[in-house]
Amino acid sequence: MPIDPPPSAQSATSPGLNPAERLLNLVIALVNTNAAMTKQQVRTAVAGYADAPSDEAFERMFERDKDMLRALGIPVVTVGTGGHTDELGYRIDQDAYALPSIDLTPAELGVLSLAAQFWQDKTLQTDINRAMVKLRAAGAGDPSADALAGLAPSVRAVGDAYGPLMEAIEARRAVTFSYRAAYNGTVLTRHVEPWRIAARDGGWYLMCFDRDRQAPRVFRMSRIESRVRVTGPAGAYDIPDFETDVVLGKAHGEIRQAVVAVRPERAGALRARAKPVPDGERQAYSERLPVPAGAPAGGRAGDQAGWDILEVPYRSLSGMASEAAGYGAALVVLEPEAVRAETLRRLTAAAALGSGTGAQAGASRG
Amino acid sequence: MAERADDRLLRLLGIVAYLDGAGPVSVADLARRFGTTPAQIQKDVDALWVSGTPGYWPDDLIDFDAASIDRGVVHLTEARGMTRPLRLGTREAVALVAALRAMKATGAVQADPARSAVVESALRKLTDATGEAASAVDVRLAPGGDRQVVSAISSALTARHRLQIRYVTSSDVVSEREVDPVRLHTQDEYAYLAAWCYRAAAPRTFRVDRILEATETDVPVQEHPGVGEQAAEIDFAALFAGRSSPLATIRFAPRARWFAEEVPVESVRNLPDGDFEVTLRVTNPGWLRSTLIQLAPYVRSVAPAALADDVAGAAAEALALYDSGRETGPTFGHGTDPRTRDAATSPDRH
Repeated sequence: MPIDPPPSAQSATSPGLNPAERLLNLVIALVNTNAAMTKQQVRTAVAGYADAPSDEAFERMFERDKDMLRALGIPVVTVGTGGHTDELGYRIDQDAYALPSIDLTPAELGVLSLAAQFWQDKTLQTDINRAMVKLRAAGAGDPSADALAGLAPSVRAVGDAYGPLMEAIEARRAVTFSYRAAYNGTVLTRHVEPWRIAARDGGWYLMCFDRDRQAPRVFRMSRIESRVRVTGPAGAYDIPDFETDVVLGKAHGEIRQAVVAVRPERAGALRARAKPVPDGERQAYSERLPVPAGAPAGGRAGDQAGWDILEVPYRSLSGMASEAAGYGAALVVLEPEAVRAETLRRLTAAAALGSGTGAQAGASRG
Repeated sequence: MAERADDRLLRLLGIVAYLDGAGPVSVADLARRFGTTPAQIQKDVDALWVSGTPGYWPDDLIDFDAASIDRGVVHLTEARGMTRPLRLGTREAVALVAALRAMKATGAVQADPARSAVVESALRKLTDATGEAASAVDVRLAPGGDRQVVSAISSALTARHRLQIRYVTSSDVVSEREVDPVRLHTQDEYAYLAAWCYRAAAPRTFRVDRILEATETDVPVQEHPGVGEQAAEIDFAALFAGRSSPLATIRFAPRARWFAEEVPVESVRNLPDGDFEVTLRVTNPGWLRSTLIQLAPYVRSVAPAALADDVAGAAAEALALYDSGRETGPTFGHGTDPRTRDAATSPDRH
């Protein structure tokens, strides 16, 4: 049967029943048992376990099965059997594993199905597919994607660090990894307590407490250069309450306005969020405008003569200056001075990139 | 490919719990619901049929109505107590809730109150059922473009109407186009409209924040073979591909690391002093020129020299404007008219 694991993995432990069927019988047995079952009872009575060739093989099989069930959200609990020995009993408490009643409409189930396509990573796809199987088992009605026809959001892959980091966050355990710092390119080993994983603006970030620096830190996950190793005991720290954007420093920037002069028909993407400066205020900006060729010097400098004066909202100074510089001679920043200066810094560095010695001059700025 | 035992167990338990509430269901419907094949559902039913409590006498087993099975209908008659759907594990809840929260904040959902309400209520029911464990992952995608543009697109998608759009390319060229919308896709920091473009007579992907205006027409969309089946992700590599395009090599200071991370490049070489060097194909000189000016403080060197000169020339021209503005004195002549330079060095304008 194509659903079975490769023969080598299967035949060693259980030639009769495949692992999924053995697990199924274990769950049914431990849910239906009156009090609890001892290991010995599991071995002799539950279908699939009698095949274990030795005590040791049975122990391994049973431990692995319990781990797998726990990972699926079906905890096997241990209880004293209350008899004359100190032997332990096992059972599954249905109230502990059952999904609280959740009544999803077909449209909501459709939304969830769409969300299930969101992740690019194998581990996250597995997690979300399992969630969907559980929810579909609970939900009536057929999923309908009508409400979101044609929509398909997705986020770039997180990468292999996700698994160990989630494990660490869940168990409150520390991790170590080697990290390439962006400010000087050096690679160092870091010891941190992971708090949260966040995606913003196309990047994945780990928010955590850095044990070496004794302070909260944010690491860009694409710059983690090694495997993430989970170390130390569980419950080693608490995760504080915090806003992702505050920690990432994205929320600080309030919206400010820059005033720019733009060539007609140019800087289209910037125009999409800009608005013209009102007529009455235009005059104030004319003196900073470049004078077009052939215009009378000091005259009504050319705002009609080839420049539109626009007010552009921005949050980040460097973002605004980069965008402005990127338009080259199609745009001149008039206000504020800080944006103008940052724009000029980029243009000056770029002007120095020309062939020969120019490139060296550019390098010395970095 | 072999299915993992745990995934199959999940479905086996899911089938029993679902059938217990739903009554008789056809094999085909079950297969659709659980995302598998009818043949696999048959195998699952066969496995369930011989499973039960120890002893495994007929009364101990999960049971189905045999006559229904012959008609292709699965009718559960004995669930052996396995009627409760499984709780979501922390990781599962995290994956689902984070995806929904990200979806809720996209422009496409925000622009449509009905959509917004559905996502909102699904999210509320889920967080009620799973608790607050889900804050371990926090994803926010692009807010995605002008509200009116996004609502025109989503309305046209729903009504299957042609759109008129005004679009500005990354090289800052504006054009008017008629397009048949196929999909509104948000990926990471941008939202994209996948559409059939009548101007290009080919499928095209438009970045929503570069759509300056969008108007829904009453012309129904047409079938365009091959357009609907494209992969849901934007194929960035294809956007930048082009074997015949010239290669450029740029050395950056560490601060410009994002360039290597987000731009599809041919290769990245980490240098001992922390700098790094990327090699990429120049398929869009206008975009590259503009990006290198933006990053100039962190650019160490650019090769070939013609590309470096192009970037430096464009920047010098802009600098001259600031100088002339300050002094309101010297003027600049027609030789530095931006249009002249663009025409000479931007062969790929479209």
